[in-house]
Amino acid sequence: MPKKINLDIASVEQREQRLGTIIAWDGTTEDLHKQSSYELRGQRERGTGCGGNCRLCELQGPFTQGSVCSEQMVECQAGNVRDAVLIQHAPIGCGGGQVPYNNIYRNGLAMRGFPVENIRIINTNLLESDMVFGAADKLRQSIDDAYKRYQPQAIFVASSCATGIIGEDIESITDEKEAELGIPVIPMACEGFRSKHWSTGFDATQHGILRQIVRKNPTKKQEDLVNVINLWGSDVFSPMLAHLDLRVNYVVDLASVEELAQMSEAAATVGFCYTLSSYMAAALEQHFGVPEVKAPMPYGFAGTDAWLRELAKVTHREHLVEKFIQEEHARVKPKVEELKQKLKGVKGFVATGSAYAHGLIQVLRELEVEVDGSLTFHHDPVYDSGDQREDSLGHLNEHYGQVKNFHVSNRQQYQLYAFLQENQPDFLLIRHNGLAPLASRLGIPSAPLGDEHIAVGYDGIVNLGETILEILAHKKFHDDIKQHVKLPYKKWWLEQKDAYVLARHPELVKFDEEEYRAEQERKEAAHA
Amino acid sequence: MPKIKQDKNGQTNSISQVRYGCALGAMHSVSAIPGAIPITHCGPGCVDKQYMSLSFYNGYQGGGYSGGAVPPSSNLQEKDVVFGGAKHLEQLIEASLKIMDADLFVVLNGCIPEIVGDDIGAVVARYQEKGVPIVSAETGGFKGNNFTGHEIVTEAIIEQFVDKYADKSKKQKGLINVWSELPFQNTFWRGDLTELKRILEGAGWQVNILFGYGSKGAAEWLTIPNAEFNLVVGPWLGLKTAKLLEKKYGQPYLHLPVLPIGAKQAGEFLRAIAAFAKENEVQTEAFIKQEEREYYYYLEYFTDFYAEYWWGLPAAYAVVSDAAYNLAINKFLVNQLGLIPAKQIITDHTPEKYQEAIREQYRQLAEDVSAEVEFVEDGYIVGELLRQQDYGHKPPVIFGTSWERDIVKELKGHIVEVSYPVSYDVVLNKTYIGYRGALTLLETIFTTAISKSA
Repeated sequence: MPKKINLDIASVEQREQRLGTIIAWDGTTEDLHKQSSYELRGQRERGTGCGGNCRLCELQGPFTQGSVCSEQMVECQAGNVRDAVLIQHAPIGCGGGQVPYNNIYRNGLAMRGFPVENIRIINTNLLESDMVFGAADKLRQSIDDAYKRYQPQAIFVASSCATGIIGEDIESITDEKEAELGIPVIPMACEGFRSKHWSTGFDATQHGILRQIVRKNPTKKQEDLVNVINLWGSDVFSPMLAHLDLRVNYVVDLASVEELAQMSEAAATVGFCYTLSSYMAAALEQHFGVPEVKAPMPYGFAGTDAWLRELAKVTHREHLVEKFIQEEHARVKPKVEELKQKLKGVKGFVATGSAYAHGLIQVLRELEVEVDGSLTFHHDPVYDSGDQREDSLGHLNEHYGQVKNFHVSNRQQYQLYAFLQENQPDFLLIRHNGLAPLASRLGIPSAPLGDEHIAVGYDGIVNLGETILEILAHKKFHDDIKQHVKLPYKKWWLEQKDAYVLARHPELVKFDEEEYRAEQERKEAAHA
Repeated sequence: MPKIKQDKNGQTNSISQVRYGCALGAMHSVSAIPGAIPITHCGPGCVDKQYMSLSFYNGYQGGGYSGGAVPPSSNLQEKDVVFGGAKHLEQLIEASLKIMDADLFVVLNGCIPEIVGDDIGAVVARYQEKGVPIVSAETGGFKGNNFTGHEIVTEAIIEQFVDKYADKSKKQKGLINVWSELPFQNTFWRGDLTELKRILEGAGWQVNILFGYGSKGAAEWLTIPNAEFNLVVGPWLGLKTAKLLEKKYGQPYLHLPVLPIGAKQAGEFLRAIAAFAKENEVQTEAFIKQEEREYYYYLEYFTDFYAEYWWGLPAAYAVVSDAAYNLAINKFLVNQLGLIPAKQIITDHTPEKYQEAIREQYRQLAEDVSAEVEFVEDGYIVGELLRQQDYGHKPPVIFGTSWERDIVKELKGHIVEVSYPVSYDVVLNKTYIGYRGALTLLETIFTTAISKSA
C-alpha cells in the first residue's frame, strides 16, 4: 500500500517528494514509461524512491527561461472559488497575477452561465521594512478587510517566496482568525522556490480545502453526485453524466465553498487530467471514503469507454453504460471518419501539462493525425493513488502507440526551436502561454486550449478535430509573419540539433572573452 | 486591534485589483528598447506574472523580440535560497551570452536574491570588465512598483552602459531626450511615443525617444549625453532621471506635466519647448498651423454629431489611471469637450513629494474648472469612491481599467479603458495623445457612449 496522504500538517508535501516529479527529460514515451516504473513506485512508500530499481534522470542545464510558480496555480484555483477571498501575503509583484486570473475568472463565469464579476484577491503589499520586521499585522489587516468587504464563506491565504524566506508564521495567524471569524481561514504553502514544478500549487490549494473545508463527518451521502476536479472549462460533464443518472459537482474553480464542502458526500471523484486531480482525488478516497474513479482519462474512444465503464462500476450504474457507449459510438464515429479525411497527412505536436498531453495525443491518434513529437512541462512518474489504472502514459503507449520524440521541458521556449525543427509539425496544441509565440514566428499555428474540456469525451474528438482545421487555416498569418521577424537566439543555438546539449555539455557556455570580442566586432561591421 | 494605519479613504495595506507591477516589472522597460534583453534573477513565476499582467492582459501587447517567455531567468529554487544564487546567476549570464543575441543585457533581480543578499552587481561587473554590454539593476519586488523599477533600470543603463561607451565630448543642437510614459504599463505607449516623436520632429527637434519602434536602441541611448536638454512629459515620472542627467552631463531639463492631447494642449506643449530652448520658433508655429488645419478639418465634421445628436451624450466623468494619463485626459475633456469632472483618482503610487503640484494642476484644469483628485492604490477603495460620486442625472463615463467594469455596470455608465489593466481592448499602434490621438479618443468615447443602446 502506498503511503497515505498526510493531512495533519498545514504544508503540502511537494510533488517531487511525493511522486518523484521531474522537469527536464528527453527520449521516447516507452523509455520514459520504463524509467518511471509506475507499478513499482505505486507499491512503495512515498519518498523512498524506487529502491534502486528505476532510474529517472533529469537533464538540468545552465540556461532557463522564465517559468511558472506554484502561487500562480493557487490563484487560478483558490482565487476562483465564487464566495471566498484569496489573500496573497506577498510583495506587490505577486499581485500581478490578479490581472490574468481575473480574466480567466470572468471568462470562466461567462462560460458556465454565472454573472460575470471581478476576482477577489487581496495582496498584503509587503515592503522592504516588512522583510526585516515581519508583517503579521498586515496579514491580520488584510484578513479583516476581506471579511468586512465581501463577507466570504472562506478566506485562503497564499504564502510567497518573500514570506517563506523571512519565516512568517502564517499558520498561527490563520488559526487565530479562523477562531475569531468563524469561517475557514486557510494557509497554503506555495512559495515559488519551494517546488521545482508549479503543479505543487494545485496540491497546496487542494490540501487546504481537504483540511479545512471538506465536511469531515457528513450526515448524508449523495449517491448520484460526482466530484469533477477541473478548472473553468465549459460544462461538458453534466450532459455526459446525465446519461448515467449522475450529477456533477465541479471543483475547485467556480465552485462555492458549500460545493467544496460537500465533496465528502459524493459517490465518486473524477478528473480530466491526473496532474490536476491526483492529490485531491486520492485524499478524498483515503480520508473521506469517496472512491476515485481509477481509469484511463476520458480521451479518445478507448479512453472514454474505459473511463465511463469504471465510473458506472463505482457508482453502480453498469446497466446504463453500455447502451450509452454504443449510442455515442454510432453518433460520433461518422463525424470522426469525416474529420480523418480532412486531416489526412497532417502532423501535430502537443505542448501542455503532463497527463493532459497524454490525453490529447490519444485524441490526435484517434483522428489519425500524426504525432512524432510532443513535450510536457513536467512528468510525474506515478500519481498519488499509486493505482496502475491511472498510468496515463502507459495507457497511451499501450493503446495508441509510443511518441518517439518526447520531451519534458518546463516552458522553455529556446528548446522548442529544436523540437520543432526535428518534428516539423503542421500545428501545436498548447496550454499556458509562451510557446505558441515562437511557433508562430516559425510559421506554425497553435490551438490554445483555454477551455480545458474541449477534447474530453466522444464529442471532444470532434471538437478537437474541428479546432485543428480552424487553426490550420490561420497558417497564412503565421507564414507571413515568419518572413518578417528575427528571432532573439544566436545562429549557434539555432543550429543545435539537441535541445538538451547544454545540460549534457555545460562547458559549451563557458565565457570566452576573445571569441565574444570577435563576435561583437563582426556584428558591428555588419551594422556599419 | 490591527496596528495598520488607514488613510482618509479607508485604504490599509491591502491592495486588490492591482494597478501597477513590481520593480521587476521594469524588465519591460528593457524589452521596450530595441535589441536589449533582460536577464532576470528571481523566482520561477516572477517573469510570467509581470508579463501576463503588464503586457498580455493589458492590451495584448505581446512579448516581441525580448519579452514574454524569452527573457532568461534563474527560476530560483530552495538550494539558491539556502546557499545563495550568485553562482547560478553567473551560469545563466554565460549561457545567455552564448545563446541570446542582444546589443544590451540588463540583469534585474527579484525579491529572493534581494533578501538572501546575492551581490548581482559584483557578478555583472566581471562581465562588464570584459567589455560585455551588460548592466545590473536591483529591482527587488518589495522595493517599490514598476515606476520605481523603471527609474532604477534607466539610471542603471545610464551609469553602467551609456557613461562607459558614449562619446560625451559634444552637444548636438536641437537633439532632445524624451522621458515620458512608462512602456507597457501604459497600454498605448507605442502609439503615443510615435505621435510624440512625430510632433516634436515636426516642430524641428531631433528626438531620442529611447523606447519602442521609433528608437534606434542601444545606439540611440549612447547619444543621450549629446542632447541639448531633457524633456520630461508627465506629472512626475522621469524627473529623477532628468535630474541625474543634469548633474552628470550638465543638461538642463524642461518639465511639462501635461501629456498633450488635442490641438490646444499640443500647441501649448510645442510652444513651451521652443520658448524654453529659444529655438525652432518658426518651424514650431508652421507645424502647429499645419496640424491644426488637419485637426480642425475633422473636428468640423464631428461638430454636427456633438451639437445635435438626439439620444443623449454623457456629461460627467471620472478618470482612474496613472498620473500622466489622468491629468492629460482631464485637460482634454474639460478644455476641448467641456465635460464635467467628478472626482479624479490617481493610482500609480505617485511619490508624496509630487502630489501637491499635481493637485494644483487639477485646481486649474481650465480658468473656470477645477476638480478634486485622490491618490488611491487599492481597487476596492476606487470602487467605493466611484460609487459615492454624484454624476448628475445622466450616467457617467469612467475612464479607467478593466477592474472598473463591474462598478460601471452598477452605475449604468460607460467605460473607456485607458489604464493598466486594459483587458478588453486589443492595442497595436493606437494613440490617444497629440493631434491624431485626440481624434481617436473622440471616436472611442462616443462610439462607446452611443453603441450602448444598441
